[in-house]
Amino acid sequence: MNELRKIWRVPLGLTIPAFAILLVVFGVPAIQLFLISTNAPSFSITNYHAFFEQPGNILILLQTIKVSVVTTFICLIIGYPTAYLIVNASKTASAALIVLVFIPWLTSGLVRTYAWTVILGDRGLINNVLIGIGIISTPLSLLYNRLAVYIGMVHIVLPIMILPLVSVMYGIDKSLVAAARSMGARPVLAFWRVFFPLSLPAVRSGTLLVFVVCLGFYITPQALGGLSDAMLSNFIAAQLTNSLDFGPIAAEAFILLLIAIIMLSLFGLDLSGTQSQPDSVRKSEYGWASALRTLRRQVGEFVVPLRARRWPKQLYQPVHSGRSWNTLAAIFVILVMMFLLFPGLIVIVMSFSAGAFLEFPPSGFSLKWYRSFFGDSSWTGAFWNSLQIGVMVTVLSTVTGTLAAFGLTRTSSRIRRVLMLIILTPITFPTIVVGVACYLGLVNLGLIGTKIGVVLAHSIGAIAYVVVIVAATLSNFDQRLEQAAKSMRAGPIRTFVRVTLPLIRPGIIGGAVFAFISSFDEVVVTSLVSGFSLRTLPLKMLENMNQQIDPTIAAVGALLVLMPVLWIVALYLTLWRSRRAHEAGLPLAGLADRAEVPSSAAGQRQ
Amino acid sequence: MNQSVSRRRFVQGTSSLIAAGAMFSVSRPAAASSGDLRLNMSAGNFGDAIMAAFVRPFEAETGIKVTPIYQDLRAAQVGLMVKNNSVTIDAVLVSQVTGLTLAGGGYLEQVDYSLHNPRELETTEGRCKHPFGFGSYLYSLNMVYNTKKFPAEKPRPTNWAEFWDATKFPGPRSLGNGQGGSPLPGPWEEALLADGVAMDALYPMDIDRVFASLDKIKPHIRKWWTTGAEILQVMRDGVADLVQSVDGRALSLIDNGDPIEINRNQAKLTFDYWIIPKGSPNALNAQKFIAFTGRADRQAAFAQLFAQAPSNQRAYEQIPEKVARKLATYPEYMKTSFLVNGEWYVQTGADGLTNSQRLTQRWNGWIVR
Repeated sequence: MNELRKIWRVPLGLTIPAFAILLVVFGVPAIQLFLISTNAPSFSITNYHAFFEQPGNILILLQTIKVSVVTTFICLIIGYPTAYLIVNASKTASAALIVLVFIPWLTSGLVRTYAWTVILGDRGLINNVLIGIGIISTPLSLLYNRLAVYIGMVHIVLPIMILPLVSVMYGIDKSLVAAARSMGARPVLAFWRVFFPLSLPAVRSGTLLVFVVCLGFYITPQALGGLSDAMLSNFIAAQLTNSLDFGPIAAEAFILLLIAIIMLSLFGLDLSGTQSQPDSVRKSEYGWASALRTLRRQVGEFVVPLRARRWPKQLYQPVHSGRSWNTLAAIFVILVMMFLLFPGLIVIVMSFSAGAFLEFPPSGFSLKWYRSFFGDSSWTGAFWNSLQIGVMVTVLSTVTGTLAAFGLTRTSSRIRRVLMLIILTPITFPTIVVGVACYLGLVNLGLIGTKIGVVLAHSIGAIAYVVVIVAATLSNFDQRLEQAAKSMRAGPIRTFVRVTLPLIRPGIIGGAVFAFISSFDEVVVTSLVSGFSLRTLPLKMLENMNQQIDPTIAAVGALLVLMPVLWIVALYLTLWRSRRAHEAGLPLAGLADRAEVPSSAAGQRQ
Repeated sequence: MNQSVSRRRFVQGTSSLIAAGAMFSVSRPAAASSGDLRLNMSAGNFGDAIMAAFVRPFEAETGIKVTPIYQDLRAAQVGLMVKNNSVTIDAVLVSQVTGLTLAGGGYLEQVDYSLHNPRELETTEGRCKHPFGFGSYLYSLNMVYNTKKFPAEKPRPTNWAEFWDATKFPGPRSLGNGQGGSPLPGPWEEALLADGVAMDALYPMDIDRVFASLDKIKPHIRKWWTTGAEILQVMRDGVADLVQSVDGRALSLIDNGDPIEINRNQAKLTFDYWIIPKGSPNALNAQKFIAFTGRADRQAAFAQLFAQAPSNQRAYEQIPEKVARKLATYPEYMKTSFLVNGEWYVQTGADGLTNSQRLTQRWNGWIVR
């Protein structure tokens, strides 16, 4: 007990488990890789110099940044309103929408990319429909260009943007917005001045995650893009096929990492600082436009009486413009969901194909690819392996990641910045390089080819996701609630279980879901560390994918869609029930009840 | 070498930090007994054919138990295993250039040709009998037509120079992506042939000339494919009417009834090596297996299951004519084909770069131009 209390007081202590895993599995070998990139022990910058000597490399580097920035931006534009509408929807609708957002993530990335070629191809769905209607006579070139790359990438990373947003928005006290409204703020203003600033930590963490993940992309740009739509990771992956010269490859990986560091420090890495330094955030948010604001405020003074007169009228007409706004919001959400789910639907349809190839429309109906999945013990065995590994990764990374997030939010911002960056490296690095590093790390431990080895290798990435998402949730967390509990003689554990945990639960659940999915879908790292004695589902899918496009993969995709639906629904049902029970007995129930306050702000509810 | 020693010392220095790792001291995959063989190959129909034609008969004859490992390995993966003394695989199937790269780096066991039947070796293609690797089948990269757009009775391109001629033969085309700097799928030789270089004068390749030729075809290529699955897609979905394709992919579509035809003129032949990573736990069994794959009867059986051409010409005696005409080394096709010179790709120049690395570098600069 005393020990625990001590650790609690030294916040950095909480980050020890997460960093220990990271260091052993990835940190030490990453340093080894860095030494290799400098041709240690001669320590030269030849490899870096050679990279920048090639003008093509610099262009590709800039292109990698540009594609990542644009993808991130599109995700933010689509993701923010989507998350907002999800949070403000009725409880069942919002649970259903969250599940729908995540479904595409469970269909293998490879299959989804293939589905996009079916949709966008010259003889694909869109072109066929347009030609059929008679709008166009020759097919549009929708595939093998930059647009297709953006579509495919946004489709893959949009959930990564939405999830942190949703988990933070759930924690925002909607009575604040209601208070602003009651003081006469119009819905837009109340949103902009109250809700939006509170959601900023999530915007930052979502943007950061998406950007960092995009930097390492290569399969999607290669499959959907044109010749010039290559990313730096394409170069790295291609070199690893035929080259044993790790120096230049490692150098390229570290250049990519450097880009991530630069971009992160430009856009503010401080994911979790609002609570401790509200002033600095406000300053950075509003400082540059303070002159403009003063002017606006003065102008605003004249409008106040006018608004004051209008306000009582509005107050008694709560759904004044509600209907058209609701319709618009519903259409938007439906469009986003269609975008997210359509490729999956294509996959499901293709899984019933009677032909020997993955094709759309299928040449006939048959269940033979489902039989080929269930009848083959190598498929079902791989499935169980993936499930077991996924669960272990989820437990390990959610616990260590949540602790680390706690520790990080309670340290000084300078230390936090550095540590956060370190924790993010596994998802910043090109996956293939992470795989090489993990391989070296697990060789050191003698864990190649073991389940524990694969779990550790998956966990380093999963921990990064958990930390970012939980830290974002924590940034809105009022530490005074903990102090209040402690002042009433609650011990640290009791405080955590009764006060803190219920409040940050959406973030932890979000992190856990991410951890599971990132493990369940992982293939590149696994292929390196599995030692050829352990087969996971994505590995099994990949091995089939390289040789022939076998519809069994589509059948697996379709089955995977069912699994998360059941799983997440069950999870949410049980958690919500227990949450209600908890709150009934909680002294601070009123404060913990934030999510229950109906949002009148956007007129979402009647 | 020096580097790896220093790396090991570095690990020792930090090992106290990772002593915690000892807590999960889980046993490595059980050390194989003398009657085992862990064999790597690709999956799918291809892997099934390897199992049926080579592995099962080998097990029956020798009593050695073979564990197939279906995965496509990169050179780096094999290199890592050997470097870290954690070889968990006894024989690996890799492309010609990957095999030669690994051989050059000292990562491979020598093939023990004393276990091979000299009579079988005699009729085996020379390049397939490398000191560090053995090729038991060949395949080719060909020009392939969509017969709906280019039917046999109408004029159609017959060589790469005509493939390059988009005014005479308009239509979208597809070539392999060259980012790996390798002959499969890089269209280097094809570019030179299109520019008028003779088939027997390709090597050493003039890289400047390669890219000057690629400049001309660049605007007409709809898709530069990277994987075999992409070739299938390009051909099936009509992305391109003229496609550079691996023969096996085109044949699988032809068998499926798709309107595809293979042009055997100026075909690029290459092959895969069976290699044994240095430190393989069952190296002797791997040697025995590799010798087994050199047998004409086994190669003939394989070719009939999966249309890959035997490296041992004698195998054709046991292959029905109908199947033989599908194979890349069919005597009639050999006259109009050329064999990739993998050695050229791994040759290192004065700047310390291999030709393969040089091609990759040029390619990376070329695609964004």
